[in-house]
Order: sequence, then C-alpha cells, then structure tokens
Amino acid sequence: MSTIAELASPNRGYSYAFLDEFAKRELRRRILKAIAIPGYQVPYASRELPIARGWGTGGLQVTLALVGPDDVVKVIDQGADDSVNAANLRRFIARMAGADTTTDASRATLIQSRHRIPEERLQEHQTLVLQVPDPEPLRSVEHNISKARLMHAEADYGLLWLSLYEQLVLYRRVTLGASYPCLVHHRYVMSPSPIPRWDVPKLHRSAHLTLLSAGREKRLYAVPPYTDVRPLEFADVPFRVEDQRGWTCHRTGLRNKFMNELPQTGGGAIYEISDTGFVEKVLRRVSDREATGSTPAQVAPAQVAVGATYYDDEGRFYIDGYLK
Amino acid sequence: MYVAARGGESAIRNAERLYRDLIGAFDAETVRTIERAMPYLVDRVMGEGSLYAPELAALALAQSGGDLYEAVLMLRAFRSTQPRLAYARPVDASSVLVVRRISAAFKDIPGGQVLGPTLDYSHRLLQLEVLDRDAKAQGEEERSQSGEQEEDGEEAGMAGERSGVSNRNYPLVADWQRDARLLPLLAVHPCPDASEIPDVTREPLLFPAPRAMRLQSLSRADTGGVLALGYANMRGYGAVHPTVNEIRLGYAEIEITHPITGELFSIGRIRVTHAEVVTALKSASVGDGAQTDGDTKLHLELGFCATVGWNEVKTIAGAMLDLAMDLPDPHPSHTEEYVLYHTDPVESSGFCIHYKLPHYVTFGSELDVVRSVGEAKRVAGLGDYYGDGDRLASGMPGTYSERPGAPLVPEGTTEQV
Repeated sequence: MSTIAELASPNRGYSYAFLDEFAKRELRRRILKAIAIPGYQVPYASRELPIARGWGTGGLQVTLALVGPDDVVKVIDQGADDSVNAANLRRFIARMAGADTTTDASRATLIQSRHRIPEERLQEHQTLVLQVPDPEPLRSVEHNISKARLMHAEADYGLLWLSLYEQLVLYRRVTLGASYPCLVHHRYVMSPSPIPRWDVPKLHRSAHLTLLSAGREKRLYAVPPYTDVRPLEFADVPFRVEDQRGWTCHRTGLRNKFMNELPQTGGGAIYEISDTGFVEKVLRRVSDREATGSTPAQVAPAQVAVGATYYDDEGRFYIDGYLK
Repeated sequence: MYVAARGGESAIRNAERLYRDLIGAFDAETVRTIERAMPYLVDRVMGEGSLYAPELAALALAQSGGDLYEAVLMLRAFRSTQPRLAYARPVDASSVLVVRRISAAFKDIPGGQVLGPTLDYSHRLLQLEVLDRDAKAQGEEERSQSGEQEEDGEEAGMAGERSGVSNRNYPLVADWQRDARLLPLLAVHPCPDASEIPDVTREPLLFPAPRAMRLQSLSRADTGGVLALGYANMRGYGAVHPTVNEIRLGYAEIEITHPITGELFSIGRIRVTHAEVVTALKSASVGDGAQTDGDTKLHLELGFCATVGWNEVKTIAGAMLDLAMDLPDPHPSHTEEYVLYHTDPVESSGFCIHYKLPHYVTFGSELDVVRSVGEAKRVAGLGDYYGDGDRLASGMPGTYSERPGAPLVPEGTTEQV
C-alpha cells in the first residue's frame, strides 16, 4: 500500500526567478500602483527569500519579479560591484533567472543597488532598483506607521520641515546625511534610500524608472521617468551635496565624482571613486588608448564608451539650476 | 578593508566552505537524530518558521549548525516558495488529543489537570554520570532505545503512546466559564470560508491588524522577542496581572476536503500548543465585551496565542501580549504595531546582522555633515550648496590639514594602482 510520502511529489525545484507566480503577480501589481502614484509607499506581502532580511530582500523581490532571460543585470553595494553582498545577490539572480550580468552601468537593463546611483546617466530602457532599509521619511518625527500614513495622506509634512528648521537653528545647516527626504511629483515626501546627497539630484526628471523596495518593512515605491524629485530645502537655505571638491581619485586622477575616503596608517586619507563600474571603464579606456596608441576617437566605442555623467569634471550637475 | 572581502564570489565560496568544515558533514541520519532527540528545538524552529515539517526543520538545524535564526530563515525561505494547495478544516481546540493541559485558574477543572511530559517539576541537575558512562554500555543502550522507538510506530520523538496521548475529551475551561456566564457567550456564526481569512504570509500587515493576522504573527514570532515584551508586560509595564486560564499541548488532526471526491479526510496529526490567559477588567474600559446582566462592573477578558509545535513559553507570553494589546492605552511596547513589527525572527535578526555590511557611503555622508557643521559654527554663515568650506574646524579631532592635499597619482596620468 502506498504512503502519502510516496505519492507526494518530491518538489525539489524552484520557480523561474525563485518567486512563485502568485508572488510575482502581486509584486507586479504593486509596482504598477507605485508607478501610478509617484513616491507613495505601497504595502506588499514581502516573501522570505534565501537571503537574510535586511540584506536587500526588498530590492531582490522587485528584481526577481521583473527579470527575464534577456536582461542584463548589474548589482552594486555602496557603489561596488565586487563587494561580497553584491556578488552574492548577483550570483543568486543569475542562478535563478539565467540572466546575463555586467558591471557596466550602461550595458545593464536592470540595476539593483544598495545606497548608490551610478555616475553615468541612466537611460530610458534601464530600471534602477534601490534597496531600502527604512522607507518612512517621517520615522524620525513619527514612529507610529499608522499615524505616518495618515500624515502622508494629508500631505502633512509640517513636523519634518520643523525638524529641518531646528537643525538650522542648532547647527546652522541641515544635518541630514544620506537618505535625504525628497518631495516627489510635488505630492509625497519619500526617502530616496540611504544614497548620499550627491545622488539625490540624479532622481530628478531621470530618463530611467527607479523602484525602491523595503523587504523587511514591506513597502515599495517608485519614481517614474521624468518625474520631479526635489530635496526638501528652504528658499534661502538650499540643499547641498557632500563637499568633496578637494578630493582626487587615486586610481583615476578624476575629481568631482562621489568618493570613498580611505584612512591611511599614520594618518591622512586617500580617495577613490565609489562607483567601481565607472572606474573600471575609465581605466580600461586609458589602457586601450595606451595600447593602441590611438586617439580617443579611434577607440572602439563598444569596448570603452564611458557614458555622459550626471556631474561633469568640474562638478556641475547636468540640469542647470537644479542645485542652487 | 573588507570590501576587500572583495574577491566576491570566491570569497563567498571559501567562507561557506570554512563554515561547513567547522560544523562537519551531516547526512540523513544526522537529520533523523536531530528530529528524534531534539523535538522541542524542532518545534521552536517550525513555530517560528511557520511550517509544520519536522524533517525539514531538522534539516535546517543540521545545515545551519544549530543557528536558530539561520534555521528559521531557511525554513521560511522554503515555505515562501510553496503554493497553498488547500485549506484545512478549522481545528476545534476541544478536539485536540491532549498530552498536557493545565489551568492555573482553578484547582481542578472538568476533565482534570493533565501534567503530561514536562520538566517543570524536575530538578535541573546536569546528568554528569552520562558523560562518565562506559562508551560500550552507552552504545548498547542507544541500540535498545532505538529498538523501542521502532515499536512505538511511525511518530518519532514525541510519539503518541510514550507521551501519554489520550483520546479522552477535555472540555475547554473557557467553555465552562461561558456556561457560568463568566465569559460572554461566543456569537454563533458560520465558520468563515478559509480562503477569506487574511493571511499574513500573502498580504501586507496593516494596522489595526485583523485579528487573524495578529494571531498568525504571534504564532510565527520570535520566541525570545515575544518573551522579552511579554515579560515586560508581566513584570509591571502591563496594566493587568493575568492568570493562565488554560494551556494545552497535544496533537491536532488536520482534515482537508478531498479535491475530487469532496470528502473530508485526515492528512495527519501535528503537534500544537495553545495558551489562554484571563483577567478581570472594568467593563466600561473595554466596551462591549461586558457581561450582559446590567450592574456588573467587571468582566473577564481573554488573551490567546497558538502555535504549531509545542512552544509553551512563547504561547504564554504571546497570550499575555494579545490581551495587553487590546487594552486602552497600552504601554508603547505592548501596542500591536510595536509588538508585531519587532518580534519577527527573520526580520529582526536579518536587520541586526545587516550592520555587518559595509556602510562607508552613508558614513561618509555623515562625516561630511559632522565636518561642515564644525566649520559652519566657526564662520557662522551659510555657503554655497557644496558646504561652507573644505577644511575641518579647529578643535575637531584629527585635523583635516594632515591629509594629503595632492592626489597620489599626478593628474593626467592614470595608471592603475
């Protein structure tokens, strides 16, 4: 006589891109809603993944719901493609979805990132998925999520403005570091995830779609292409990005890209550009040029094309007048 | 520098290999041993993993070297890929095959107190003689024990006969209280369609949470987390001192409707725990749960928690929290949102260990603020969008001027370092 154990299917396989189709459908519906209401936090069920919670499972669920076999996936952590966590997520996505992977921001169709936006301008065919630890920009002024949701519904951001004003009074400047709150489409205040302030302007009227997803907190939201994103700033106290004007990248000699500060034994520090995919391309362009002795115009563009960047070599943002 | 734990994929592989070397190899026999020898551990993992699968829970424990949070995560990650094939019939608490049920509210209860398997009244002395026993004798004993277990039938570990499972009917203490008009009678309503019950694993948790979601969340909550918040409640931050009305451990028959014949049939029994606590409250303060005979000013209020597996501590603490959350103006740590958000084992442990990830971009942004605030205070003015200056204010530790101003690689050259 058969036992139930014998009759049951062994069920060892996983669905394409890990998530079952019901989970993917739910995520896609929530993503559509998020795109339809820019900056609004859409709650979702948030499945457990075989990656620890808080390690990018929110971004990963969105990526898995979107990825297809023709996609080219780039994963970055704090700007680096080769940090262990980025490598691990990339390995997982490639294993579960069979997608191609890259470190080149221009070549990727789907970029999952923790805390950085690449230096090269993203294009319309690209989607950026940002991992979000805390989706609630009002958390510092209202711990209770139910009350915070009500405040969003009523566009009641007075307490947040007040907290910025208090910082001005106490410190003579706004003391927010990363996760600088932004007003999206003149309606919802959102946390851009803990990207540095340097990256916040890149969200403004961007050609690409940005999806932000917090797996642990079970909220996702979106900045659709060409949407206004304004950091909270007073008319007479403009928003400021990190001051790294004096810093030069020790690998490329470039300035005016977001840098990591590397403390040195014996004091002092050197600097390197945080976006490792960008650095890789800059260095390769130079070595190709040296190898062939050719002028920049003669180098095969597919190999080494470094795309236009959000900030030029003098640190000017590509949209005039956005940074005052 | 540990992004220098760069190297990415090979570093990951090596790290995992070191871990595997450390915990040693395991096989199906190891898994069966864990399942048989550590049923309470398996139950804890199944409860928090919210999946009744003793074999898989034991596998997760073997694979994680006994790291509970890792084991729970593995089980949950497996669970989240599984389709929901069918809904079981509701389990009537009074139909659970009881191995242990006690009430602290009454000296004796209809059906009697059943102590069942417990260490509650044992002396917690380490059995050091086990270590001294001759290895040969030990081997023989293990063999004879495993022989007994085979005779016991298919269930390993907490096997029915050995743990004193009984088919006797044990009426619920709460039912007696309802008959005695100490508790309001249960509203008579048809059993809801199972597919309409909110499911915390399939839908977002919003507040105020439907009761089903609250109980589901408590059921899969972290034992330690529920205990810590529950203990704070018991110790004095809660407004009430509840009594354990009944705690019940046993086997529940899981019945589903056959997809083709439409007949009800059992797919097996699972270990379950439920705990119910009770306290007297002023009727006015809670509203309509009050006794109906008019002039009574106090009524009894229940708190409830149930889990798959035998998890006494968690269900007692969970039931206390369930009760506390319903009180008007509960202590902040006993509000529904606070409790349910902070006691999920996968979320809380995952977020805790995420701090091991590099944070140099966010920290760099913070340093920029720290430096410029010092500077801003010194010059007492506001500059352009870049900040007030590129030099650290005097008086800040580690003066900025000690840093090399010039790039290591002269501009114009770009050799790779």
